[in-house]
Amino acid sequence: MTTETPDPAGAPRPAGAGPRRPIGELAFAVVCALLGVGVIVGAGAIRVPSGSASVLGPRVFPYFVGALLLVAAIAVIVAIATGHRGQPDEGEDVDPDAKTDWRAVVLLVAVFCSQLVLIEFVGWPIAIAVVFAGAALTLGAKRWWVAVLVGLGLGLATQLLFGTWLGLSLPAGPLLDWIPIFNG
Amino acid sequence: MDSLAALLEGFTTALQPQYLLYALFGVFVGTAVGVLPGIGPAMTVALLLPLTYSLDPTGALILFAGIYYGGMYGGSTTSILLNTPGESASIVTALEGNRMAKAGRGAAALATAAIGSFVAGTIATVLLTFLAPGIAKLAVQLGPADYFALMVVAFLTVGALLGSSVPRGLVSLGLGLMLGLVGTEVLSGQQRYTFGVPSLADGIDVVLIAVGLFALGETLYVASRLRHGAVQIIPVTRGWRSWMTRSDWRRSWKPWLRGTAIGFPIGTIPAGGADVATFLSYASERKLAKGRAREQFGRGAIEGVAGPEAANNAAAAGVLVPLLTLGLPTTATAAIIISAFQSYGIRPGPLLFENQSGLVWALIASLYIGNVLLLVLNLPLVGMWVKVLRIPRPYLYAGILAFAGLGAYALHFNVFDTLTLLVVGIAGFLMRRYGYPVAPMVVGGILGPMAEEQVRKSMAISQGDLLYLVHSPFAIIAYSTMAVIVLTGIWLKRRRAKLEAAPKLVPTSAIQAIDEPTK
Repeated sequence: MTTETPDPAGAPRPAGAGPRRPIGELAFAVVCALLGVGVIVGAGAIRVPSGSASVLGPRVFPYFVGALLLVAAIAVIVAIATGHRGQPDEGEDVDPDAKTDWRAVVLLVAVFCSQLVLIEFVGWPIAIAVVFAGAALTLGAKRWWVAVLVGLGLGLATQLLFGTWLGLSLPAGPLLDWIPIFNG
Repeated sequence: MDSLAALLEGFTTALQPQYLLYALFGVFVGTAVGVLPGIGPAMTVALLLPLTYSLDPTGALILFAGIYYGGMYGGSTTSILLNTPGESASIVTALEGNRMAKAGRGAAALATAAIGSFVAGTIATVLLTFLAPGIAKLAVQLGPADYFALMVVAFLTVGALLGSSVPRGLVSLGLGLMLGLVGTEVLSGQQRYTFGVPSLADGIDVVLIAVGLFALGETLYVASRLRHGAVQIIPVTRGWRSWMTRSDWRRSWKPWLRGTAIGFPIGTIPAGGADVATFLSYASERKLAKGRAREQFGRGAIEGVAGPEAANNAAAAGVLVPLLTLGLPTTATAAIIISAFQSYGIRPGPLLFENQSGLVWALIASLYIGNVLLLVLNLPLVGMWVKVLRIPRPYLYAGILAFAGLGAYALHFNVFDTLTLLVVGIAGFLMRRYGYPVAPMVVGGILGPMAEEQVRKSMAISQGDLLYLVHSPFAIIAYSTMAVIVLTGIWLKRRRAKLEAAPKLVPTSAIQAIDEPTK
């Protein structure tokens, strides 16, 4: 999935003539460079125990990692500025000509976030049903009730398989806790 | 002969009905998930990890081995039958296999891939059986400086060779190393980058990095550019008994063996794993092909499926050599396997064969068993895998998201991990979008802390003398090999880009016409 693949058009894109301006790409590289700076600055805050026997303290490796990240990110920024754009990944279900569907991305992130609250308050099966149905509908599932039913089925099945049978402590939630098989 | 006796003992463990069932289950689930489009071996392994959480170590590793081989296997079915470019490890299979399928020879392509994987997997596992104990014995004598050298080699080859540009690979590696820094540091017990959050004190689990990058990041990325409309699958006609003709066999067996010979050594060295091996095998088959076969390359030559597919599986077994003997993960999948070992308190490395020999040999025995099971499962069940391929995409990716959530939450039963997963997933989405390889990040996450430990131990031994890092012949050889690997790797990548751009599409009716007379 991380492989280099030829451009759909068969030839590399001419420098700087991509379909989009490289603002997002530059921004990501800049954020990586800033993370590098952050790691270096943060390394200074690591407490070095006094009288430590080791020659290389706990700060040295972080300094190195931060420097690597910073230098590599700067190299990427330079590459982008000189027209060497990154090739977006291809995949079986990726349409190389499609425009970015930001709505889908944001909705999926929101749907996934719902777990943060739902798992603890309404339990695992329902949290999974919400994630599944929400994601399926976001991605264009045709019938909403199928998505909801499959989601509920998946939630209950995983609860039984992982919670009851394999013994992972997935919370069944207040709605199901009274059923003996779920709170075993 | 030592290893033979140990292996037999491993078989007596692995053939117990309970473990046999685990192996069967692992192979089955691994293939089923690996067949799913967009899911490579690494994601298969990462998503199915929760299955092993409550098993005993032997059972878990046997299940895991099945999933690993099954995931590798499943990918080839996808790339042959699905009418779109495939996943990385088998992308060259997609070149020829996909075209064979379009020309009505999908059955032969599937069969040569399955049998080739079996042959290569078995030979490579035999090699693993006999090489690993010896390497482990040698590895016991390696000092921290030597280990550090090995890890630097792994870092640089993985970072520089994967993906389209060296700086992007290194950024990905750096992000992984950064996540690896978080937590309580082993040698002096200091908290680093935890910002006072208790959940961060234990560090960020590599499983989170892998699931976040592969499952969540991939889903977000696919969602951003989803291919709408009906799923196109190339129908497979003939029954599976008559899949390969006599000429198919004659044309396949040499590529299988050559693929194995190429795949296994490349798998064992940190050179980008199966990816490089399949490409090399494809290139050599294309070069060696003569006459009619030569003409067929780019239009569905069976050699172009048999060789790379064998190389792919041989490399998968080869990856286990440094993994088991040195504790060195060289691919993203291997990084996840290491973290699975660690969750049982087992540290892969030279001492593994002494301290946990029962476990290791049961694992190796189960690799043999898994290979046989795969062959038995795959050919007759292909109709079922085709149905799996037809799962409507909204439900498929919704399911991946749900299982990613399970994988994160089941780690510590804490939604903080879910949040971490989300952050890593968004990073993974952006990395895919802007052409960064994600595998170096996973490898960096697991190898970073190990490398730091080794370099600090070396410095403690040498009292800060940097020359100690290159004092042993082993380290010097490792560093010079690294230079060679990186340079040839970059050269190979340039060639590969050219090669992949080369094959021209020919109307499928013309391919069929070439093939018909031989039946």
